[in-house]
Amino acid sequence: MTAPSRTPPAQRLADRLIRRACHRLPGEAGDERYREWAAELPAILADPDVGSGMRRSARALRYAAGISRCARRLGRPGGGPEPRASLPARPGFPVRRVLVGLAIYLGVVGLVVGLAAARPGRAVLLPVLPVMVAFAAFCLIDLARAGQVRYLPKWGWAIACLIQIPLGGLMYLAAGKVPATRPEPPAQP
Amino acid sequence: MKLTGPLERVLRVFLTDPSARRYGYDLMKAARLPSGTLYPMLARLHDQGLVTSEWEPSSGDAGGRPPRKYYQLTGEGIRVARLELAQAARTAAPRAGHGTVRPAPGSAP
Repeated sequence: MTAPSRTPPAQRLADRLIRRACHRLPGEAGDERYREWAAELPAILADPDVGSGMRRSARALRYAAGISRCARRLGRPGGGPEPRASLPARPGFPVRRVLVGLAIYLGVVGLVVGLAAARPGRAVLLPVLPVMVAFAAFCLIDLARAGQVRYLPKWGWAIACLIQIPLGGLMYLAAGKVPATRPEPPAQP
Repeated sequence: MKLTGPLERVLRVFLTDPSARRYGYDLMKAARLPSGTLYPMLARLHDQGLVTSEWEPSSGDAGGRPPRKYYQLTGEGIRVARLELAQAARTAAPRAGHGTVRPAPGSAP
């Protein structure tokens, strides 16, 4: 074991992700898998074929994310690759909605930055501020009235909405908000 | 066993030196597969008895790092892998090769 103080932060974070993933597996197996998967981290972070330390760290985190997926798959009773068959009610991660949210966020940021660049010296943020406050308030009220939310607990989404206006709120609306139950998915022609 | 692209790559890597023991990251790099694909596949091959795994002895030349788990094809695994890859090559060959005349679609009796 290396001394804990010398462990790079990426390794600690990846290690923690792997440990959490292995909790899904039943006792003994989870323990062994954790030792196996965590033992690969030093090799990744010292990989001579990967140029910079930054890219090695990114690779270690990608590795840990893959392990997390893998543990989820192995942790299912059948071990099979059908995760959604038994859970038809729960929709998958709304990638498109999140991307739209991100696009809106980037648009807003671009607009504000553009305005600030076009009119130096003018307080461009001043008119935007009430809009932002209103948006955050809207998100919080929506959150408070929602029956259940996904991916984060309610308080987690509340913090996200408050500390990163408007991105937190957009992400809540895109991902955290459970979509209203649609009567029927539209039939594909 | 259904030979998918990733599985084929892993088997090829194993067969480049069937006697070599390989650890997970080594396989990931050689087969260019992410961990989320490789490990479930190894688990499946292990369950089918085609791959064995063993822990590296902890007091080895590790230089202070934790012991790794190594994977290797079993005898049966080598046999099956060679068979599958040969079969894949056979089914792929006529398409690029010569002589096989395929009837035009719709002209079948």
